Amino acid sequence: MSKVVRAFRPVVDNNVCVRCYNCQTYCPEGTVMVKSKEEGTIYDYRFCTGCGVCANECPVEAIKMVREP
Amino acid sequence: METAKIFDEYYKKSLFQGGTTCCPGCGGPTFWRMALESLGPNTIIYGDGPCAGCAIRNIKLPTFSIHFSFVADGSTGIVAALAAKDRHDVTVVSSGGDGAIGDISFGKVSAAAERNENMIQVCVDNEAYMNTGIQKSGLTPFGAWTTTTPLGKEAPKKRIPMIIAQHSVPYVATVSVAFPRDLKAKFAKAMGMKGFKYIHTVMPCPTGWRFDPAKSVEVVRLGVETWAWPLWEVENGVLKLTMKPKQKPIEDYLKAQARFRQLSKEQIEFIQHDIDAVRQKLLDNEGKNIIT
Amino acid sequence: MSFTRMMEGNEAAAYGAKLSRAEVIPAYPITPQTELISTIATMIANGEMKAQYIKVEGEHTAMAASIGASAAGARVFTASSSQGIVYMEEALWMPPGMRLPIVMCMVNRAIAPIGGLRPDHNDSLLQRDTGWIQLYCESSQEVLDTIIQAYKVGEDKRIYLPVAVCYDGYFVSATATPTTVPDQKEVDEFLPPYKHEMYSLMPESFKIREFPMNIAKARYEVQKATQRAKDVFERVDKDYAKRFGRRYDGLLEEYECDGAEGVLMTMGSMTGTARDVVDEMRVEGKKIGLIKMRGFRPFPTEEMRELARKYHVIGVVDRNTSYGSAGGGIVAMEVARALYSLDDRPLLLNFHVGLGGSDVTMRQIRYMADKVLEAHDKGKVEQEVDWVELVDLGEVM
Repeated sequence: MSKVVRAFRPVVDNNVCVRCYNCQTYCPEGTVMVKSKEEGTIYDYRFCTGCGVCANECPVEAIKMVREP
Repeated sequence: METAKIFDEYYKKSLFQGGTTCCPGCGGPTFWRMALESLGPNTIIYGDGPCAGCAIRNIKLPTFSIHFSFVADGSTGIVAALAAKDRHDVTVVSSGGDGAIGDISFGKVSAAAERNENMIQVCVDNEAYMNTGIQKSGLTPFGAWTTTTPLGKEAPKKRIPMIIAQHSVPYVATVSVAFPRDLKAKFAKAMGMKGFKYIHTVMPCPTGWRFDPAKSVEVVRLGVETWAWPLWEVENGVLKLTMKPKQKPIEDYLKAQARFRQLSKEQIEFIQHDIDAVRQKLLDNEGKNIIT
Repeated sequence: MSFTRMMEGNEAAAYGAKLSRAEVIPAYPITPQTELISTIATMIANGEMKAQYIKVEGEHTAMAASIGASAAGARVFTASSSQGIVYMEEALWMPPGMRLPIVMCMVNRAIAPIGGLRPDHNDSLLQRDTGWIQLYCESSQEVLDTIIQAYKVGEDKRIYLPVAVCYDGYFVSATATPTTVPDQKEVDEFLPPYKHEMYSLMPESFKIREFPMNIAKARYEVQKATQRAKDVFERVDKDYAKRFGRRYDGLLEEYECDGAEGVLMTMGSMTGTARDVVDEMRVEGKKIGLIKMRGFRPFPTEEMRELARKYHVIGVVDRNTSYGSAGGGIVAMEVARALYSLDDRPLLLNFHVGLGGSDVTMRQIRYMADKVLEAHDKGKVEQEVDWVELVDLGEVM
């Protein structure tokens, strides 16, 4: 698997996240996982393509697409 | 890394390795991740159709492919070999794109349906030959831009699912990644049957349909809500609509994709009219045996 | 129990598939192969054969289904002719590169246009670049025996290549000759069950052949396998002869070649007629011999060079056409290449006969043999390529 080159990366605010699992369901690559309340929602940035579906499907706008440095 | 380990375990369990070479926002990996939850580990995937290949490569199951002109053929052989070895516990899934199943392998899929081969035939429909750079296929919808139909496709979309239903196979269904519960239930149902099962999914393609990848799931949700992509199943000849959303105007769906940018008002009306007619026919025939 | 009776080539082939315990048979009917697959269907229907017979909708599908089944671990048998073989061309290139040991009967038939239903060898010879092993059979008996041997050779761990068992439509496929069908148990001892070391599609044991990234390396592997096939083939031939009492002398057979001034080389059913003509001519004191080409792929280059050291005139008979070729028919051109590097090359004549399946008569064979002996006497070749059917030989027989 080659290293992913992204334009944007998703960043989640765990205080806003309601753990609805939408992001995990609709992520094409399976690189986002909703863990426990303590651990929050985590990303596998090795493989996330920055497509933005998770941010778009989040009902509470807990995910922001941030420009990669 | 802790996160890496957590995810590696997750990929192993979900039978899908994250990090495909698909375009960001492609519906392909989304579809397979959902389908695999129903299919489980006792499955062989026979798949080709170039775009699908990118996703299938990441599936942690036995996979086999030849070319996309042989959709349903290779899997026919695999099914026969399993029968010869008395292995009745393995599910064989054959996958092809719209170009494969609608055009070059159309006869193959029809023949496999006629022979009632014991497999689940999947069509991953992104409505054009996408992997070779967006060329028109028989399943490209009317009016869509492609590189070979720059003024918009002249002919209507081939209605493959209904054609397959007319082969009197046990199960035919349309699914969408925007409705995962419906998708997973249909796969589970297909797995419980013997014979030829056909599941057709619309596959959002940000690259070919021209929209922001983030809107991938939203676009196909609109497709279902506007009845451009009705969700139904035909089980032993009887039609059932598994979703009857309140109809939104087709313009919402068309405006969301730049491939329909050149449509005139008349053409949009024509499309709306066609969708209304099909919707009505589906509603009228619900619960009836539609094999003629 | 072994038994002997009159049997047509197609029926003998069906017995070959049955005795080999073929497990998956995807097939589409085409004249002159049809009796082969309908006999198999009957055998399965009355319970004497256990196989999955897939009645596919076209030859393109037949070969693809064969590939899937073979990779999934089943012993596969299929058959076709002419247009069917050409229709499955796309798929035919796959098994050698994928190292899948499918056995296929190519019941030779001319390719359209300017063809018909009767046999010539263009359909199978067209596959000479693909990597398929090619064997040509002269009789029903040979067809049956060769199919069983083909599995043994193809499934050998050092080989893993598909084998085409070719025989002429009508002249072999539909002509009844005495055929001995060996005992199933004895065939089982000769041919163990199929197990591929490089492929398993079962979820619990999935493994698949990894293609080396270097294309030249990958192709060279296939090339080496075709060369190894010669050796394996000789051994299988000897073993078969020991168990079943029938030998076919490997890839080239010499018939009545003692002290021959020149030899004719034939392939397929016309060999039978040629044997009779050579016998007649020998009685007349004419020193003509006959070479039967049984294996075309791998090409018996070494064996040809051995022959060329013994016989100074070779007349190659081509039941095929290669329009615009470097000179003559396909077999002749391969023979020429095989012999080119010899210091002392024999004289080479090339005859086109029996094209489109027209009868190869005794008179035509005698004409060709006479030309060979004439070249020997004159010490030179008058006509490099001779289209025998365009020569008026008077009476037909």
